[in-house]
Amino acid sequence: MANTVTPAVMPDIERDEKSNSKSEKEPGYLVVCWNDPVNLMEYVTHVFRSVFGWQKPKAEFHMLQVHNQGKSVLVRESLEKAEHYVHQLQKYSLHATMERDE
Amino acid sequence: MRLLRTENGNYVFRLGAGEKELLAVVLSLYPVIPPAHQPISNSTGIANKANQRLLDEALAEQRSENKKLVSSFLADTQRFHETETGARLTITPAEVEWMLQVLNDVHVGSWILSGSPGEDSPRVIPTDKNARHIGAMELARWFQHDLLVALNRPPEVK
Repeated sequence: MANTVTPAVMPDIERDEKSNSKSEKEPGYLVVCWNDPVNLMEYVTHVFRSVFGWQKPKAEFHMLQVHNQGKSVLVRESLEKAEHYVHQLQKYSLHATMERDE
Repeated sequence: MRLLRTENGNYVFRLGAGEKELLAVVLSLYPVIPPAHQPISNSTGIANKANQRLLDEALAEQRSENKKLVSSFLADTQRFHETETGARLTITPAEVEWMLQVLNDVHVGSWILSGSPGEDSPRVIPTDKNARHIGAMELARWFQHDLLVALNRPPEVK
């Protein structure tokens, strides 16, 4: 069998750091709020309502999940949107992070 | 600080004797949470320098805006209407929102500075070093609670 010949022109496989890759646009990122012993429960509910526009029952559900289970996954979004929500939640001094949905 | 009524969408609060001064003291402490305190993520790959820098910049910008709002609020001598028993304060919903952020920063920041007492040991022993942080934490929580109660409760009938 003949050896394969290396083509003269190679495809550009370098990742463009400036543009979002497909995976970053997909809703594969979780916005997680973590429990802490300092934030008031009513305050956390208020922040969820302000940031996500949720009705009170949904906001209270997630607040209680944070309180009782240590954390709550609030939304699953693209990288950009998840980042936006984490910024908003941290502006209210909540312990929030974004995590990859493995 | 108790809600008297809502007026044209604004909140009218009654403050007892000394509460005006206490509110001013607490607001003037802002910001208390150390810069770059929180991580953007716990996941490898997301918790990188670029994402963290974006978060830190967004928080710094917001801190700067809130500081201006606090300064402007404290400098406005017409803001409080003196009464026989204390003062009356009218604030807009937007002001309630930044005030909650500011008070929570003082609340959480003072908690951090007082040693971050946890749920297992909620009581922190006051010392010369942490007493002012504990005081600030409790005052901020008190005003924060009053604002949240006002947001969730129909106005009192006078």
